[in-house]
Amino acid sequence: MRSMTKLTLVAAALVLTGTLQAQTNNASITATASVQTPINVVGAQQLSFGNVFPGVNKTIAATDLTNAGRFDVTGQASSPVTISFTLPATLGSAGNTMPIVSYTGVHAQNNAQTGGTAFSPAAGASPSLNASGALWVWVGAQVQPATNQAAGVYTGSITMTVVY
Amino acid sequence: MTHMKRESWVLIGAMLLGVPLSLAGQGKPLTVTGVRGVTFGAVLPGVPRVVLRTDPANSGQFDIKGPKGGPVLLSFVLPLRMTGPAGALMPIAFGSSDAGFSATQSIGSQVGFDPKQPTTVIFPNNGNVSVFVGATANPGTNQRAGAYTATIILTVTYL
Repeated sequence: MRSMTKLTLVAAALVLTGTLQAQTNNASITATASVQTPINVVGAQQLSFGNVFPGVNKTIAATDLTNAGRFDVTGQASSPVTISFTLPATLGSAGNTMPIVSYTGVHAQNNAQTGGTAFSPAAGASPSLNASGALWVWVGAQVQPATNQAAGVYTGSITMTVVY
Repeated sequence: MTHMKRESWVLIGAMLLGVPLSLAGQGKPLTVTGVRGVTFGAVLPGVPRVVLRTDPANSGQFDIKGPKGGPVLLSFVLPLRMTGPAGALMPIAFGSSDAGFSATQSIGSQVGFDPKQPTTVIFPNNGNVSVFVGATANPGTNQRAGAYTATIILTVTYL
């Protein structure tokens, strides 16, 4: 009887061990993403005031397709973007400055401004790229030369930043 | 003594036949199934995309069948990056509450936990649970366009 009891306990231990031993299983899933086209901006046309006379304000309208500054944007089709600007308060020439007193802007989904939307560059805007992933932005401004403004070529940099 | 012998053999026989007398529930096979992947969908360069573990359409889901009322260890193998076109990489991150355990297999009833830390949970009496996973994709501003993928592995161990 004693040997039988021992045998029973050994068998029980073996079976219990088999029943309770750590059991592991695993499975996997996939994380997926579709990254869209990166956004790109090109300064396509300079804002050109042409000849400016001392004491005579000169305005270039944002709707002036020849002289307004223009940025061309490309990216993911039909995606909304946010545009913002760094705008100079003056133009400079060999240590002389000439004030820019106001800015205007237009954005459109074509390069002819058809159906374009006016906006304030100082405030920025939130347009959308067109179905081909393109957007055009124009900037106009007014310079205010002093009556004794020194002659010369005056320049300044306008920077536009676009983010999705 | 003869009676005792008979009882002992019956007990041994029952055990060898795999009929544990009081452990039938814990003997349930452990299975883990990947039900749904984490889907970020369209991601814009420079714009992080977050998928919550409570998102019924985009969160990842594993279903587990295991021990009734038993403690189980959940541990993940998590990717650091997703792989895209021409080997392009995009970081993927998991927050401290981006995994969720549901004893009712309901996405609306989860207990959050850190998928980066092995976590012990107690199974319900029916032995069926679900684990949900969220994550954040962090594309760079010049992230190459295209499809990106990564693998998330859940390992489940009886304790």
